[in-house]
Amino acid sequence: MEERNSTEETPRNNALAQRRSKSYRQSMRSCVEATHLAYTSGLLTALRIPRSRKAPKSCDITKQVDPDQVALLVKKEWQLSYVTPLYQFRHTQLKSYSKQLSAFIVSEKQQGLAIEVGQELGFKVNFSVVLGLAETDKDAETVFIQILSKQAFSAKDDAQKVVWSGWLTCVNGDLDYLRSLPLEFVSLPLFCTRGPESLTVLVKSWFEKTFDCCFGPLGINSTNLQWLASLWTGCHPTINIQYLKLVWTLPTLPPMDVTYTVHPQDAWELWDSMRQVDTTEDSISIDEVTGFIKGLQSHFFRHFRIDLSAGSLMQISTALGSSHHSGKIKIASPNYIPTILQLLTECALLKMPI
Amino acid sequence: MAKASNLTRTDLDSSFESQLSVSSRTSNRSLRVAEKERRKNQTGDPFVLALKYFSEVEAGTPCSGNDVLERNLVLVERVGLSRGLPPEAISVMLDYAMSLRMGGGTCVRVLKFLIPATVVPQEAVVRAVSWLCVGKIAISTQVLFLRWVLTVFDMIDSKDHLRAIYGFIFSFVTEENLSPYICHLLYLLTRRESVRPFRVRKLLDLQTKMGRQPFLLHLLSLYKVFYPELVTLALPSRMRSGFKNHNSTWKVALSAVQKRNKVQVSSDISLTLRLKDKTNSRKRKLNHLELPSLSSSIQSNSSSSRSRKVFSLEQLHSFPQLLDNLHCIELPSQMGSLLGSSLALCYLDYVQDDSAFLRLNFWLGHALHEEFLFCSGDGGSGSSSEALHFLNRLLSTQHFLQEGFSSTEGFLYKFLNVWDGSLLRPQILGLLSDIPVVPSSCISQLLFEPLMQLFFTSTLFFKCSVIDCLNNMLLEWLTWHSVYALEDGLDISLNSHTPMNMTLSGFMDSVMELVRFVGRLATVGLQLEGCHCLLLSFILDFYETVCDMFLKYGLPLVVMPPAGVFYPALFATDPVSVDRLSYIMYRYKKNLTSAKCQQQETKAFHISRQTCQEFNHYLLFMVSCLWNSKMFLPGMAIEVDQELLALSKVPEPWTSFDLIHHPAFLGCALDFHHKCWPERKDIDFNSIKAAKQWNWYMEFLFSQGFQGLQQFVQSSINRRSVAGISGQRGSQPTSR
Repeated sequence: MEERNSTEETPRNNALAQRRSKSYRQSMRSCVEATHLAYTSGLLTALRIPRSRKAPKSCDITKQVDPDQVALLVKKEWQLSYVTPLYQFRHTQLKSYSKQLSAFIVSEKQQGLAIEVGQELGFKVNFSVVLGLAETDKDAETVFIQILSKQAFSAKDDAQKVVWSGWLTCVNGDLDYLRSLPLEFVSLPLFCTRGPESLTVLVKSWFEKTFDCCFGPLGINSTNLQWLASLWTGCHPTINIQYLKLVWTLPTLPPMDVTYTVHPQDAWELWDSMRQVDTTEDSISIDEVTGFIKGLQSHFFRHFRIDLSAGSLMQISTALGSSHHSGKIKIASPNYIPTILQLLTECALLKMPI
Repeated sequence: MAKASNLTRTDLDSSFESQLSVSSRTSNRSLRVAEKERRKNQTGDPFVLALKYFSEVEAGTPCSGNDVLERNLVLVERVGLSRGLPPEAISVMLDYAMSLRMGGGTCVRVLKFLIPATVVPQEAVVRAVSWLCVGKIAISTQVLFLRWVLTVFDMIDSKDHLRAIYGFIFSFVTEENLSPYICHLLYLLTRRESVRPFRVRKLLDLQTKMGRQPFLLHLLSLYKVFYPELVTLALPSRMRSGFKNHNSTWKVALSAVQKRNKVQVSSDISLTLRLKDKTNSRKRKLNHLELPSLSSSIQSNSSSSRSRKVFSLEQLHSFPQLLDNLHCIELPSQMGSLLGSSLALCYLDYVQDDSAFLRLNFWLGHALHEEFLFCSGDGGSGSSSEALHFLNRLLSTQHFLQEGFSSTEGFLYKFLNVWDGSLLRPQILGLLSDIPVVPSSCISQLLFEPLMQLFFTSTLFFKCSVIDCLNNMLLEWLTWHSVYALEDGLDISLNSHTPMNMTLSGFMDSVMELVRFVGRLATVGLQLEGCHCLLLSFILDFYETVCDMFLKYGLPLVVMPPAGVFYPALFATDPVSVDRLSYIMYRYKKNLTSAKCQQQETKAFHISRQTCQEFNHYLLFMVSCLWNSKMFLPGMAIEVDQELLALSKVPEPWTSFDLIHHPAFLGCALDFHHKCWPERKDIDFNSIKAAKQWNWYMEFLFSQGFQGLQQFVQSSINRRSVAGISGQRGSQPTSR
């Protein structure tokens, strides 16, 4: 299902910025431009799904980004969603958003009780900008949200407990898409959350009401999991990945889960053998990735006579991070954050309805 | 007592804004002038005298045993309850009652018969409120007064002065017994500028004191409409019903008076607040298809528009309101909510705001994608009734706006590839026929290929629906062309700043592609379904549109149907199909001849020689087959070897498709034969071919309702040459 989506989706449309007008010319123009970017599902769509990527380079992210903020992002498992562009979101208004959201949460929790905005409440919401994650000047800066709860019987200056956190980000988003959006829209397509589902629902609903956007779940399909596996394995010479674990689910009755753990050195050697000599050092092609996974699968077949390609890849993990089919990701090492986020931003942008 | 009341009145006056007191005085003065005038004219009228009594009576006059008072009171009461009181009388009586010049009992009695005949002067209400501030009136009477104000609220002539004393009225909100009524009154009076942080805080204080009272919440929810950044609340579903009615005391009398006077001042008998009621109590896990509710946005409030007067769509209930506030309407926080309101859609169509459309398209595209393509979570559209409802609403919205949304279009192109052809078929095909013109370069990939697959693998009924859908699509394109091409003239080219050039010829290419595609579908479809007459009927519908493209829609394009459509229609076993084909051929001829004329005059366009040849071929065949009983001859479209024909042992095979022997008309011929020669037992069809009988037979056919055939015969066959028997009966007038 997921794969089908990703290949069929042609979410980009330069015409979306076009004025919808009832005149012959403009209507013509918009549909003509649509053909150029959006609806030629064959060739151009294939180009949109990247067939090669830059090899991940270890970079010290803490040089660009506040280490405290990096610490908030790493070593935690995040649930992913995509979100359509936010209308009239302003990075300068974060303080007022904090007040609005906290009042909203309280009023939704206490149906039928009016709440003054800006009052001291049981919840405190913090909006903050994570500067430095954006890679191009079209990328909007990442926004981090924390919900703190006041304990009912705690002392006044007690530290409040973080009950929910989430962030909206865009790293290396497709330039054509971002350029096609009018200025009033801010595209932060990737939304990562952590905390009780009820709060996630409330936060989403507040965003939808305030910025007229829509949220949807973002899964990570097999192809992208394979990408992640390859990218992480490729990092082994710089950072020890310790292990490469892949989980397949085979469509037997009852379904069979296969957990396949590979020694890091073996994985890396297989990956290294797949790397084509003629490709430049810092680019990885999809063929190399599928070759790598095929190699792993054929090895497994030789030993257990089970063809893993009949099943679907559900989960992969290394010491650098883990990722699950249902849209969960954990980044353990700050050094490769931008690579991972770029991949996820791509997935999220592919989900955009227009 | 008089002294005291005078004193407080001056106090009040000084505390009012000066303008207000001045105007209230002037209105008093004008009232007095009017009184004087009237006194001159009708000094004898007891009603006027009674009013005079009440306006002049001294405070402290005893009321028990006061016959004059009783007499006047009864008089005014009778007038009030039967005909209603004129504005001046309301003014006088209200002032008299609220000043308590003769005690609380009279006050209650007066309030109860204070039925306005036309309008209530707002100064009277303002003065009465000022009496309320004196604080001498019993609480129950105060409540009665407020209920009266609420009942006649819509009849108060204007409300600006009442709004000016919003603060005074607001101060009563703390009075426990009054606050439900005060809140209602405030709800009716509140404007954006009256919402202040301190008032919000006061109401919230009250909320903590009194609990979640519906009236407080309703007022607060109105405040939220104006300033969502000041206050927020979520109304529980049981509180959505609105304010109670307080009109019980006056309801009967008021409606009687209004019926009598036939005034169309809508005293609002049901002054309820209209909150969107949530229809789906059943919570779906992922309800993409639920329309968001209309609510004003925090965004625009907090920025530039704060000072500007704003009218939010939440308050919009009627078309005149829309017209009055067209300049200051504010779009809601979620554009998806517009889909539920036709008034809001009117506004959207009027403003043509890019980002508004984009927001709507994002929302719509998201809903459609999540529900039908991603099917995330709940395993697809398990709730098809909701999906049905949603798509129907979308369809009616698109029809209302007379155009499709671009997100619908994009969605459909993807959805066609995964559609099974049966899920929500009428809706999907309906949406499909709304899509705007698709450029010819990609029309095949986007539209034709997926449709073709579905078409050939589905039932007859689906085939008919597809042809119908494509017919509607063509109609929309043509209509759109005929409306907008006129604006721009025939030479349509784009502004220079776009790289692509879409011209009239581009549009024509698309139409051509569409028509040819349907031709292919129809040919194969008819073969697959054994020339089913239902399918044929839909196909002929389509060609009825196609044959008139030049004359009806001004598009210089004539496309003939393929042989796979023409011959099945001509040899159809039902007369209706042949009749319709005749009509289509007749229209083709009209279109071609007038196109030819215009071509010679302007030389602006060119109808291809091939089209004319095709038409002539068809026409020749049709005439010789139906009229001249000639078929299968060398040089005609259908050639059959004579020996082969002889083998079939059909006698006179060349006559078997003339108007007598044609399977579609055989019944008519038989009927005609019976009518002509009722006594004859053996049937000899050839006797119909005699010139006189043939003419009668034609008249007979035309009288059976075959209008198409009639038009065809009259336009394409020279009837004067009907002299010969079967030789040169017809002639072909067109030969290009």
